[in-house]
Amino acid sequence: MSLERWQQILREITGVPGVRGALIVSAEDGLVVAESAMEHVATSDVAALAAALVVRARQTAHVAHGAPPRSVHLAASGGVLLAMAGPDPLWLVALADSRAELGRLRVLLGDFAVSLA
Amino acid sequence: MRVLEPWVTDPLVEFVRESSARVALVMTSSGQVIAQHGFTRSLDVMAAAALGAGILATTSELARLMEHGGDFGAVVHQGDREGVWLGGFDTPRGRWIALAVFGRESSIGLVRLFFDRFAAQVSAAAPPPVAVREVLAEGFERELDQSLRALFGGT
Repeated sequence: MSLERWQQILREITGVPGVRGALIVSAEDGLVVAESAMEHVATSDVAALAAALVVRARQTAHVAHGAPPRSVHLAASGGVLLAMAGPDPLWLVALADSRAELGRLRVLLGDFAVSLA
Repeated sequence: MRVLEPWVTDPLVEFVRESSARVALVMTSSGQVIAQHGFTRSLDVMAAAALGAGILATTSELARLMEHGGDFGAVVHQGDREGVWLGGFDTPRGRWIALAVFGRESSIGLVRLFFDRFAAQVSAAAPPPVAVREVLAEGFERELDQSLRALFGGT
């Protein structure tokens, strides 16, 4: 898939009301692969921490003899971080505030994550 | 962990804890060791410091040749099981270098994130520069011995 298509996906995600930004992260190295509309957000920091979260979730699932996680949902007082697994090692990540329609966002992320290949 | 400059301790402890670095080394741009974590032999520290300083000097020169407008800031070597992060940062004591070896429990992004914080904390904690003492030939071996004892606790 081209970078242009990835940008298009990210723009569609950031079009959801309440979404502050979206990025594609490499969970292997914690780096940003592509990003969209992340004003006032340190995307490289978000990528590093989201990747660390994903790795910890994988380790937890492994220890618990469960299947590797396909999504990670971190809820905070000011908003949420949603991450969906794409083709390894890519993850589609969205940062949203508390006004965001989380159900729609989850469905959108899930649909797009599998099409990142 | 061994440090020559006590005010480096807290930032380095935090960096190692947060980034999950297996080995960390802080040195001047000329390769003089300031602090180390994870090394067990002085020979390894000296070699790593010299090689790390050499690598960053090489990339800085490469940046100059390419008219990059500064240096590259950091160099990363990624292996199958471990990676090496080598980054330069400015302090009131001059330009320093941090070297970190990290495994699969960490990542380049995580090390970069906490390296930036470490560099900022070290710069903020650094006391004003002091006059450089001249190292006389007859005192050089004693000075070197004192530094190694401080870094390795007399081993």
